[in-house]
Amino acid sequence: MSRTSCTTEPQELLQYWLGELDEPHESRLDEHLFACSACSERLRTIVDLGAAIRSEFASGTLNVVLPEPFIRAVKQAGLRVREYTLDPGGSVACTVTPDDDLVVAYLHAPLRDVRRLDILIDDTTSGKHRANDVAFDPARNGLVAVTSTSYLRTLGYSQQRVRLVAVDGADERVIGDYTFNHSPS
Amino acid sequence: MFSLAAVTPYPSRMSIAASDAEDDAALARRIIGCAPDRDAAAEAELCRRLGPRIRLYGLKHLRDKASAADLMQDVLVMVLQKLREGSVREPERVASFVLGTARQMVVDGRRSGRRRVRILEAFPIDLMPPDEEAPEPLDTGRLQNCLAALPERERAVLVMTFYDDRPADAVAADLGLSAGNVRVIRHRGLERLRGCIELSGAAT
Repeated sequence: MSRTSCTTEPQELLQYWLGELDEPHESRLDEHLFACSACSERLRTIVDLGAAIRSEFASGTLNVVLPEPFIRAVKQAGLRVREYTLDPGGSVACTVTPDDDLVVAYLHAPLRDVRRLDILIDDTTSGKHRANDVAFDPARNGLVAVTSTSYLRTLGYSQQRVRLVAVDGADERVIGDYTFNHSPS
Repeated sequence: MFSLAAVTPYPSRMSIAASDAEDDAALARRIIGCAPDRDAAAEAELCRRLGPRIRLYGLKHLRDKASAADLMQDVLVMVLQKLREGSVREPERVASFVLGTARQMVVDGRRSGRRRVRILEAFPIDLMPPDEEAPEPLDTGRLQNCLAALPERERAVLVMTFYDDRPADAVAADLGLSAGNVRVIRHRGLERLRGCIELSGAAT
């Protein structure tokens, strides 16, 4: 058994790891993993990859849009979060310090009828970017953009203009514009 | 304080190469057959094979690296003791026996305090696998590039999943999605990420 390749799907192993399986199913996998080194190794690979993703996020290297309750949870877990809150049309003077684990922007916006949301970024340092189909909850009327602190720490004085765009088929509608005026700490 | 570092070093993989082809049951039979003497090579190989599986089980159920390492040590001590005593009646099911021992130790919380010290003092061990017989660490730059290349939703769902090992329903509640939808995004994201890491690894 231990010398064959693993036939358990990664999806099932991840569900096992996250406690999503019912008890009999989990128990069967417990048994299998103890008898099958190939599946045990596959699970370990997934767990290691998850730990690496966690580490990248916690060290602030990722640009990612996340919901507000999740940011609240990471703050409660002890990450130091620098926060900026903007309404549509708003601008803010911002920075990053050596003490910040994450820098986040709460972008308020009416999202109730939005199906797909894209973010357009015009950065005086790195140019224009577009993030397509970001994750958001239409019921929350806003989202949280996490910007890589590693990137922010490389910036001098610079400006980032951010536009939220609702996309519905070929139609696009501007939801809000936001301006960040960055200065080094 | 008991220290594993202070006892006989764990044999290198090179020195136990002759045992690599043996499976768990054959190793268990060797240990039983050798009692009251010790077959140190068989014990070391059994620990090398089972240790990571016990540690992984401990990580899943205890969610703490140090506790998982303690569990691994305690279970291996107990299993070797039972094998040497001849109390494992079905050596061909030694993996099940190890799982049962691990389950019991997690359930009744016997891994801490005075009992643990007593076991270790009464049953000196010198065969523990190293704490981290870890695979090659992921290339950080490659991982960052591959995470950046993911579709936005997949990156968000993977971060939300792995930051605190959260199940799909918890992630779904934060995103206003169904748990099934989160599982689909998570699966796609993980596969895409693994593919990207393998591809960029092969290209270097």
